[in-house]
Amino acid sequence: MSDSLSMMATTGLLGYGFGEEAFRYGLEMDLDFIAADAGSMDPGPHYLGEGVPFVSRKAIKRDIGLMLEGALEKGIPMLIGSAGGSGSAPQVALVREVVEEIAAERGYHFKMAIIHADQSKEYLHAKLKAGKIEPLGPIDDVTPHTIEETHRVVAMMGVEPFQQALKDGAQVVLAGRATDASIYSAIPLMRGYDPGLVWHLSKIVECAGAVAVPKSGQDCMIGILKPDHFLVVPAHPDVRCTRMSVAAHTLYENPSPYHLIEPDGTVVTVDSTYEQFDERTVKVAGSRFEHSNRYTVKLEGVRRAGYRTVFMAGARDPGLIAIIDDYIESCRARVRLQVAALGIGEDQYKLNVHVYGKSGTMASREPIQDAVPHEVGILAEVLADDEETSKAVMAMARLALLHSDFPGRKCISGNLAIPFSPSDIPVGQTYEFNLWHIMEIADPLEPFPIEMVDV
Amino acid sequence: MVALSELASVLRSKNAGALLCTLDLMFEDVATYERVRDSGVINPELIASLYHVSQNEVSIIPYDVAMAIKVTVPRLVPSGSFGDTDVYGSQQHGPLLTIEIPD
Repeated sequence: MSDSLSMMATTGLLGYGFGEEAFRYGLEMDLDFIAADAGSMDPGPHYLGEGVPFVSRKAIKRDIGLMLEGALEKGIPMLIGSAGGSGSAPQVALVREVVEEIAAERGYHFKMAIIHADQSKEYLHAKLKAGKIEPLGPIDDVTPHTIEETHRVVAMMGVEPFQQALKDGAQVVLAGRATDASIYSAIPLMRGYDPGLVWHLSKIVECAGAVAVPKSGQDCMIGILKPDHFLVVPAHPDVRCTRMSVAAHTLYENPSPYHLIEPDGTVVTVDSTYEQFDERTVKVAGSRFEHSNRYTVKLEGVRRAGYRTVFMAGARDPGLIAIIDDYIESCRARVRLQVAALGIGEDQYKLNVHVYGKSGTMASREPIQDAVPHEVGILAEVLADDEETSKAVMAMARLALLHSDFPGRKCISGNLAIPFSPSDIPVGQTYEFNLWHIMEIADPLEPFPIEMVDV
Repeated sequence: MVALSELASVLRSKNAGALLCTLDLMFEDVATYERVRDSGVINPELIASLYHVSQNEVSIIPYDVAMAIKVTVPRLVPSGSFGDTDVYGSQQHGPLLTIEIPD
């Protein structure tokens, strides 16, 4: 182990961008590698379902183009995890295509590893049968039926597939779904650094500029590992990290700031100390890693939920707003009747009407029940197994919401202000998460095949 | 009594995965943080009633080093499932704003 190792996280999400000036400052800091996480499940199940990114191809190309230029200029590894957003096969393929396109345009040559994270139904059935799959939080147990109805599923890799790819000679690693921290922990762990410090640093830098002050969303972050502590500092000299910005970061998107779970154990920050090292740099020590007696990877899977059609409108009649909940119930009854006449049964669709201005944001958790807004927004959504049914139900729901009677009605030519023509918007096939579980595996490489490519 | 919205410098919500919603209450100074933490007001009973969940589904973790209290509850439905209103879980902090903290 050398006495220091430096890494740069260019961006918290590949395609969200980063400042070129910050990046170039960072490149001059004697780095051992650069990396970026490309993944998040925050945008919901659609992107894994469709296998598409939630950022534009243009934005991915810009970010990767700069990173490739820097990594090749300095002769250091470049690691991308959760390529394309959810790290599934079509998303990884898209990012690979972008990398190869840039290389062809600029005449770059390097060895690249592609690591796959999609899981086959056969593999999952075998794991289920062996009792190796369990829920991660409040979700039902997996059954063979759950696996059968899954549309697409990825597992989150740990550091081992990255390490294998690097051992096999890759300079660029393009990985499917991976834990955010594994991307940054792979190289330091290979070089023998303390796992508590390595994992904790990785958890902090993976969001890149999130710990920068002031926060511009465009900052690259530098992590420097030492044998008994680590340092975090932004790449750009005009920006700094504060003790508080770094300490607070373990709160973000985690249920606990003290215990951060990874495939082979838990990062424990209970005894971590945070110290302002200099004006721009924070020093952290005391973090521990508790090894687990089993190796688990998280599964993220989606099933098809049906075709959604949405409809938006405003209501401004005080008489209607006063009785809006009852009105919507009566409209639902009318829809039931009218679609039954089309041969569409109650079990063939779901209709939901959100009332913005009252409970659009929190639904049944909205604590304020007696608000009397002067206008409300109506958002209706229909889900059905096929698009024709979805559109047919929405057409009837729109009619009911627009033209139903209510006590004391004076606005008899229509109850809603509809902002668009067409008014009903089909948004296509939708998905929902059905796998949010952990799977125990014996070999950390087994579910993540590595493909080596000469670019 | 003072409303929590007056005392906290950050009051935010966010998904912690697709199944949980995590709420961070952060404070500018130790005195204010300790006042809220030690008031006992932020307890599982209150959070359970505000978010319509059972007490054993509520996690509350004081985090001294960042002068923060972390509260986690199950989401109403998994992120993006039918009936969801907040895919990222970013606007679920409202019920916390009006919690009254004793002087």
